[in-house]
Amino acid sequence: MNAARLHRSAIALGGFAALAGAFFLLIGRGPIDMLVAIAQASVGSGYAVGESLLRATPILLCALATLVPARLGLVSVGAEGQLYFGALAGTGAMLLAPSSLSLVLLGGVIGGAVWALVPALLRVVADVNETISTLMLNYVAALLVTWLVYGPWKNPQSQGWPASIDFTEAARLPLLGESRVHVGLLVALVLGIALHLLFTRSRWGLVLDVLRSNPRLAPLAGLSVTRQVLLTMVIGGALAGLAGIAETSSVQGRLQASFANGAGLSGFLVAWLAGNRVLPAMALALLVGGLLAAGDGLQMMTSVPSSAVLVVQGLMFVAMLGAGAWKKGGAGG
Amino acid sequence: MADTLLQGLPVSALRSAAPLLLVLLGECLTQRVGRINLGVEGQMLVGAVAGYGVTAVSGQPWLGMVAGAAAGALLSAVYALLTVAARADQFASGLAVLMLGFGVSAYAGSGLVGLRIEGFALGAGGTTPTLWLAVALVPLIGLWLYGTRTGLVWRAVGESPPAASAAGITPWKVIVAGIAAGGVLSGLGGAALSIDHTRTWAEGMTAGRGLIAVGLVIVARWNPWLTLPAALLFGLAEALSLRLQAGGSAVPAHLLHTLPYLASLVVFAVTCARLKGGGGPEALRAVFAR
Amino acid sequence: MKLLRHLAVLAFAAGTAIAHAATIGYIYVGPEKDYGYNTSMDLGRKFVEKNIPGTKTLHVENIPETAEVEKVMERMIKQGGASIIFATSYGYLDYAIALGKKYPKVAFLHAGGLKTGDNVGTYWANSDDAMYLAGMAAGAVSKSGKLGFIAAFPIPQVVRSINAFTLGAQAMNPNATTTVVWTGGWLQPPKEAEATNSLADAGIDVIGEQVDSPMTIAQTAEKRGIYMVGKDVDVSKLAPKAVLTGASWNWGPTMLKLTKEIQAGKWKPSHVRGDLKDGTVVLDPFGPAVPEGVRKTVLAKKDDILKDKFIVWSGPMTGQDGKAILPAGTRMPMEQLESMNFFVKGVVGTVQ
Repeated sequence: MNAARLHRSAIALGGFAALAGAFFLLIGRGPIDMLVAIAQASVGSGYAVGESLLRATPILLCALATLVPARLGLVSVGAEGQLYFGALAGTGAMLLAPSSLSLVLLGGVIGGAVWALVPALLRVVADVNETISTLMLNYVAALLVTWLVYGPWKNPQSQGWPASIDFTEAARLPLLGESRVHVGLLVALVLGIALHLLFTRSRWGLVLDVLRSNPRLAPLAGLSVTRQVLLTMVIGGALAGLAGIAETSSVQGRLQASFANGAGLSGFLVAWLAGNRVLPAMALALLVGGLLAAGDGLQMMTSVPSSAVLVVQGLMFVAMLGAGAWKKGGAGG
Repeated sequence: MADTLLQGLPVSALRSAAPLLLVLLGECLTQRVGRINLGVEGQMLVGAVAGYGVTAVSGQPWLGMVAGAAAGALLSAVYALLTVAARADQFASGLAVLMLGFGVSAYAGSGLVGLRIEGFALGAGGTTPTLWLAVALVPLIGLWLYGTRTGLVWRAVGESPPAASAAGITPWKVIVAGIAAGGVLSGLGGAALSIDHTRTWAEGMTAGRGLIAVGLVIVARWNPWLTLPAALLFGLAEALSLRLQAGGSAVPAHLLHTLPYLASLVVFAVTCARLKGGGGPEALRAVFAR
Repeated sequence: MKLLRHLAVLAFAAGTAIAHAATIGYIYVGPEKDYGYNTSMDLGRKFVEKNIPGTKTLHVENIPETAEVEKVMERMIKQGGASIIFATSYGYLDYAIALGKKYPKVAFLHAGGLKTGDNVGTYWANSDDAMYLAGMAAGAVSKSGKLGFIAAFPIPQVVRSINAFTLGAQAMNPNATTTVVWTGGWLQPPKEAEATNSLADAGIDVIGEQVDSPMTIAQTAEKRGIYMVGKDVDVSKLAPKAVLTGASWNWGPTMLKLTKEIQAGKWKPSHVRGDLKDGTVVLDPFGPAVPEGVRKTVLAKKDDILKDKFIVWSGPMTGQDGKAILPAGTRMPMEQLESMNFFVKGVVGTVQ
């Protein structure tokens, strides 16, 4: 970490402390107590750290899912929908082969990729803006899951509760230690590093950079934009689909409606906050995961409403974004 | 069944569409000056809560609408500060504003839940003033953007800030104005939702309508005139998804609820295929490709 | 320096809290101040806090019915020192059962459902009787005989309400029908308003509801000049003309009784079910639109219910498709009741 970046982080942290402190004073709370409670709830014990990592896992995968197409200059907000459709397809695989972890994961990855292929094809065939198509398809995927768990896939033994049958032990990812964190976290970290290397070291990374900065160069350099649109979208979809099936099989243990907890949108935030660079996105995903996971703890320990927690989270991002001005303001390097 | 479906359907579609239309017009102006603001959802929420609170206290729904507009504008100032002064990423800044707006509105509004207000009286065929306000703004903004000198200035900034600058325009001032216009209109949209459409304040009551508006601007091809059909299409599909149930349709409700999203997407894709994309401000394209 | 002192105080507080036997955790699925279901549960919390001096309660709102609640419950135990947990939404059940095994010394009380563990019990109340009575008022007031029902999701508690409402209406008008509209979310005011409008446009003049809060539907019904029946909280204040009556909750006494039993070491996990009789469910006061004669008929039926002379869930009962569900003279078993996924005759709509 260079000096300028360190500087920026310090400003973000100081800015956050000032903004959040002012807010706490405004609502009649002691700022230090509250900040201590946030720290406690996110990293205050082994349990808290585990929950933060657990929350960060799908956010990290969704950030990567946003970031891959963004390297080509595509703005996909579709990680949420791909996550849902991955969970749906993976659950479908589970219903066919109840104890095959590899088939379940494969189903999830393919499901996410397929759901991303739709906007990718719309883009290359009919020039349909991918932002709007991925946004609309998010809602459709979530509603398809809802329909399945209330209808055809409802567990007959669930006393009317809308959920699929449970995943068997064999179809779940192994857990790390005593926590609820599963191996998916390590997979996500490895995939992140691999993507980082691909983007910075490989020919493909350079191709994406070239096409992003000037798509008109493509025919001159003998590059196919179409191929890259399909490829980046499908890779992104596969990553989000993996997030969905890992969450469903190994955390929820069954397919349910509305299980995503906003991971897709949080991942989108992380990716763009990180300027679509992989390593900062990985660090930010962990930070955002911890901050979001601390929400209920802050409510519980200080009895502030969940809305106050949301304000604090918003202020955190405002401080981080505001601190970015430092970079452009002249102290760069 | 056809009777129940069609009875009052046009007004129903308009009613569903009106708050969305206001927000859509605002975001259309913001995107026209080259900014894409995902924070409109949060701006709607603060507009809804401020409008509701002021109406409850004063008994004056129009005063509530003004308060909603002011609250929306105030929150959009945060977005302007981040993206213009600090030159921060637009998408991330918008989401930060969304979170802030959600949190602030829920916090401020917790004392308002379950208050009773007198909204606007129903007019002919179940219409209300906010519905006419939204519809009337469409030609006003359309004519302004395409027919006036300042409208041209805004569009020029949206196409190319350096070129506008060369023509003696100060781009950042125009951009801030475009963001503020989005703030005012999304605040109005939120207030219309709470004061008029539902006469309710509830935490997170916009339920994604702001994000949808950001998307529908693309469907409307950044053209204020086309925001009306885009909002109506969405409102019609939503009204139909409820009316088909009221009419005894056998299709599962969860599938019917996909209707507004699929209809918007299909109509957009079909028109895209015929027009071959395009229509967006150039400076906005630069946001996407970086 | 100050920071260190704060840390020390917090660590100490956490340490002692675990030893304190009377910390109770409450988890809500929506906003605590929703003027609806969650508010009714939170009023129960305040009642317990007031009536057992020295009791400390923790409460967390907006927790989805997913594995997220497992985290929240565990945090309440580990970081908050809770020894009793009220999991107040139907979808928390499997997670409460799972955590119950992990924390045998903590008592879990879950809202509804038919599973228990060594330290996991359920509490719920039969609001169907009150919904039936409210349905009677609705059926009598309706001029068209066409009633509507706006609800979030087809889960058993909601399906029961719709059926009870319809059966009540048919007791006053045998031809009454109930048209169901699903909004697909517990808190969706814009859709609730538009659903009310579309039902009104279809000639429906009385609406029942089971969403998070009745407030939007009540206000819209008032605006449209039709009638409605509330649930969870009394909304007559919001819509004095439109509200006919409703079925409200009063959770305080049940929660207090269970808490005292647990603290005295006398609690055995079971399915505790309140009703109209014990006051957990309340039939709201009648609105001005309900004629005197109808009030008398409804209150007479209420009396029959209180005296066990009338059972809502008894045969003969016919399904939506006209097939018999329950033969005459039999009562519906609890299992069928709590996992209900069919509509009775006269309901228009799908259970999916």
